[in-house]
Order: sequence, then C-alpha cells, then structure tokens
Amino acid sequence: MSESPPTVFVIDDDASLRQALKSLIRSVGLRVELFGSADEFLKSKPPGAPGCLVLDVRLPGQSGLDFQKELAKTGIHIPVIFITAHGDIPMSVRAMKAGAIEFLTKPFRDQELLDAIQVALERDRAARQQLSEISGLRERFESLTAREKELLPLIVSGRLNKQIAADIGTSEITVKVHRASVMRKMRADSFADLVRIASRLGISLPPASTS
Amino acid sequence: MPQSVNQEAGWGKPPSAWLSIARYGLALFFVATALLWSLLLFPFLSNSFIVLFLAGVIASGWFGGGGPGFLAVVISSLAVDYFFFPPIRNFGVSLETVPYFLTFLLSAVAANWLSTARKKADERQRAYLDELFEQAPEAIMLLDLQGRTVRINGEFSRMFGYQREEVVGKPGFDLIVPAELQAQAAASRERLMRGETVNRETTRARKDGSLLTVSELAVPITVGRQRVSDYLIYRDISESKKAAETLQQAQAELAHLSRVTTMGELVASIAHEVNQPIAAVVTNGSAALRWLAMQPPNLDEVRESLSGIVRDANRAGAVIGRIRALLKKNAPRMTPLDLNEMIRGVLALAESELRRGGVVLQTELARDLPPVEGDRVQLQQVILNLVMNSIDAMRTILDRPRELVIKSSNDSAEVLVEIRDNGTGLDAEHSERIFHPFFTTKPQGLGMGLSISRSIIEAHGGRLWNEPVSAPGADFRFTLPRTEGFA
Repeated sequence: MSESPPTVFVIDDDASLRQALKSLIRSVGLRVELFGSADEFLKSKPPGAPGCLVLDVRLPGQSGLDFQKELAKTGIHIPVIFITAHGDIPMSVRAMKAGAIEFLTKPFRDQELLDAIQVALERDRAARQQLSEISGLRERFESLTAREKELLPLIVSGRLNKQIAADIGTSEITVKVHRASVMRKMRADSFADLVRIASRLGISLPPASTS
Repeated sequence: MPQSVNQEAGWGKPPSAWLSIARYGLALFFVATALLWSLLLFPFLSNSFIVLFLAGVIASGWFGGGGPGFLAVVISSLAVDYFFFPPIRNFGVSLETVPYFLTFLLSAVAANWLSTARKKADERQRAYLDELFEQAPEAIMLLDLQGRTVRINGEFSRMFGYQREEVVGKPGFDLIVPAELQAQAAASRERLMRGETVNRETTRARKDGSLLTVSELAVPITVGRQRVSDYLIYRDISESKKAAETLQQAQAELAHLSRVTTMGELVASIAHEVNQPIAAVVTNGSAALRWLAMQPPNLDEVRESLSGIVRDANRAGAVIGRIRALLKKNAPRMTPLDLNEMIRGVLALAESELRRGGVVLQTELARDLPPVEGDRVQLQQVILNLVMNSIDAMRTILDRPRELVIKSSNDSAEVLVEIRDNGTGLDAEHSERIFHPFFTTKPQGLGMGLSISRSIIEAHGGRLWNEPVSAPGADFRFTLPRTEGFA
C-alpha cells in the first residue's frame, strides 16, 4: 500500500469558492486539488488515487449529478459530496440514491463539510482496503494448479476425501495431497478459514451431489 | 307634414269604411261641382263642361284614388251625355256625337289613370324615404330651428326609450343630455347654430336615467344658405368602448404579470449571483478561524483567507451595483394620468378578490381631480398592492363588516389618495418598518410590496406613508404632485 495520501478533489466553477474550500480543507491537514470542471478532473486525476470528491451540482457542461453517474459507470469508485447554490429536495434525493455522502447547500457550515469529508475518506479507505485484500486472495488463488482450482469448490463444500476421489476418479491419497497443497497455498489456517476465503473470492459451491 | 305621414304610410292597408265613403263622397262632390259650374257657364261657354268634368275626374283620382276616380269617370260620362250631348236631357246618344262622347270618355279615363298613377308614385316615394329614416341603423332626431323635436326614428326609440308621441313637438336638444354634460351640450348647440357639424364621443342618458356611451353627430341642414333644421345622429358605442377598456385592462394585467415574472427571475438571479461570493466569504472566514486557532497560528493562511473575504464581499457588492444599474434602465414611462380612472381600473382588477374577501367597498373620488404625471403600470401596481394588503388584513375580521374606503382629493400642489381598511391593523412599532425590504407580517409574504411601492411613489416625486389611526385598521396614504399645465 505505497499509495499517495488521501486527497480531497474539489470541482467547482467558481474560482474564489474553490480557493476558499482549499484553504478550509487544508486547515485540517488534508491535501486538496482543485478543478474548474469535470473534464479537467478526468484528464488529470490518477485513476487509483485515494480520496473523495467535493462536487458542485451546477457545473459548466454536464451537471454534477450526471457526472456522478458517469463516474460510477466507468468504474471509478470515489465517494462524492455535493455542494449546490440552490438544492431542492428531489435533486438531493437523486444524489443520495446515487450514493452521495452528503448534499450541502451553499453557504454551508464549515464543520458540516469537514465532517462529510471525514466520512467520505473513511469510506474510501475501507473500500480500498477491502479491494486490496481481495486482490491478495485472488493472487493466492491464481497460484493453484488447474487440478487444485478444480478441487477447491469440492473441498469447501465439505465433501470427504473419499467422496471427492470418487467424484473425479482418483485415489483418496491423491486428494489428500492436493488438499494439503491448497491449504498451504491459500494460507488457510483451518478448514473454516479456507471456506471464508473461498466465499470472499466468490467461489461458488458445486451443486451438492451426495451419493 | 309629419302628421300626415302616418296616414299616408297606411295607404296600402285596407282603408276603414268611413274613409272609403268619404273618398267616394269626395268624387261625387267634385263631379257635382263640375256639373254645377258647367250648367252655370253653359249659356256663355258651351264647351267649358269638358274641361270642368276632366278637372273633376283628375281631382277625384288624385284625392280619392283609383276607385273614386273611376266612379267620377262613370258619373261624369252619364252627366255629360245627359246634359250636354244632344239629344239633351236624354241618355241616348245621337250617331254624330258618338266620336265626341267617346273622346271625352277616353280623356276622362286617361286623366283618371294619370292622376292616380302619379299620386301612387308620389306616395311610394314618400313611404320609401320614410322607411329609410325609420329603419336607419342609427338613432336619428330631427329638430326644427326652435330646437323642438320634429321626428325621431325607431332606433332612437329603442336606444333611448322615448316613444314618438312623447317627444314630438317638445324641446329635444337637451332631452337626452345628462345633467353634468349640459354645458358641453350647450356649446355644441351653439356651434350647430353657426352652421358647424359637431362630431364627438360623449355620454347620453336614456329615459330611465341609465347612461350610455355614444358617438354623436350633429348636422345642420341648410337649404340654399338658410339653416332649416338640425339632425342629431347617435350610435351606441358602449360595447366597443367596453371592449377597448377590457383590452386595456388585460394589457395592464399582462404588463403587471410580466413585471412580476421579471422580478421573480431577477430575484432568482440575484440569489445565485450573490450566493456564490457569500459562500466563499463564509468558507474563507471559517478557514481563517481555523488557521488562527492553531498553535502557533498560521498567519500567512489567515491573511490569504481574509484577502479572499474582502475580494468576495466586493464581488457581491458589484453584483448588487449591476442590478441597481439594470433597474435604472427601466425608466418609468411618464404620461398624464387620471388617478380616479386608475383607481377604478385597479378596483375592477381586484373585484373578484374584493368579493371573495367579503369586503364592502366605498369610494369617495374627487370630481375635479387634476391629472398627475406618472407610469401607469407602476402606479397601478402601488394601488393594487395597497388594496390587496387591505383585503388580506381584513380576512380574519369576523365581528364587524369589512370595509375598504378609497378616497382621492387634492390641494393646490398635490393629489392625495387614501386607502383605509378596518382590518387587523399594524403594531405601532411596525409602522415604519413595514416599508423596509423583506419585512412582512404575512406568512406567504415576500416583504417587498410596500418597499417597492414606496420607491415607486418617491420616484414620482410623492410620498407614501401609514397614517396613524385611532379605530382598528390601517390607513395608507400617498401623494403625487399635480401636473403643471394640465390642471
């Protein structure tokens, strides 16, 4: 996890409000980057940078709400805080439904914004952690041989070595060796641990075919 | 002869028995007279009888008509045959006098035919002209030189409610002139007497006293150089006048609405334009406080935030300045205005509101109010605003009749309009604050009405204030300077 510290990305077409937001956010020790439009942000932002987005609803070009949708579609998962000069209820409902952290009406209280930013960063961090954990598990899974990958669902489904051997037409001893190898490569401490890892990787169990 | 017109107009109808007897009697009388004179003259002028009898036939045909004329021909022929053609005193006709007798008979028939035909053509012509007058689509009154009514037509009766018998022969000129317009009517009569034609839009009264707006055309009729009679011709223009007024009202309403809409858009735009810098000021202010609260305080950051605040506050001020300049561009359109008429117009606009509010309206408008100069739409807005405020203030009043009094008056310098109600009234400490922008006592109010009204009145050189009252209710008054040169 050798990534840059979390950054608050501010997108607002009003330069002086941008500057004021920068000063405010920096005063609590966070990094800030300013953008005048959604395009500017898309062009310069490194795709994997952690942080959150403070987004004006009324942007030149596409609206903030449309931009939020577009981000989700292109797979950029970054928490969004909306700020607006005149927010109405339907607009804020739409924003919140689309996953916005907060919907603030200008002029807003500084603490409200800073709290929302904290929540957003926390959520981003958690999401990133989950993502990196899963990618670690996926690495382990990829280190399995084809045969082991085939056996893993059968093992976690709770079938006995004897049954699995019958399923795939091999000896019980061979299955036993494979199982030990899977446990080692997946770094599973116990059978329960292996089941948990498999479920996080979304490995589906084969249809139970008990004889 | 106007009186004979009716009888003659009835010529085509079956005449009464007495009239027939009289006409045939008349024929007998003419023939008898011809016979008498023929007999008297016979010794001196033996052939005069022919002329006399032909004259009798013509007179009978002219005055009595076809039937009596024919009777006269028959009797004359018999009388001539009996008394003047040989053999005398005998109805027999000698062979050599037959051509003479036949000549006489044909002459008599021809004379009778000519006489009655001429008479009929004459009568037809007359009846035609009468119908023309009678059925003219405009109300016509014909006056003689003494100003007495000679004739009126059907439309006149319909329009003004007078029957022919009621007015003919009586002074007609002032008959339908309302009391307050007598002076004006006298002036037009004088012009008429000088031979001028007078054409104007004015008000005339029906027999029942109700008024209608008419276009009046007064025309002297001259024969040679001599004025012999006057025509007064009226057309009812109440409807078109009303339509024009309705149109004007609709236009005023539209202008009002578009102003209100513009105002709404303006307010929304102000809100956005001013909100941005204010949001920046608030944010910078918060940031500055945070930088200041640090140990040690980061004064560079504080300085930067503060200079941002100054910049954005100036920006907000500039927005306001731009709006001011924009408003100034909408310079009021100054025209001379009759405030009474405007008050009536506004009350017409507010009529349904007044009715819905159960308000008893009392107007005391000065009769001789001098005109003021101003922007019609703006002043209408002021009056409407005050009236609507009064209606609103009386909505909750249940223990007494809701009364709205609107007065206009003037002194040498100003015109004063007073709008008084007996509604909930105002707290004494509010009496000046109500004119401040965004001050309102109404749950749905914007608090702009009185503030805008006052600025409009002051822009017109007048004053708008709230007069303290002892009774419950409120009394708003405004003055406007009277216009020089129009008074």
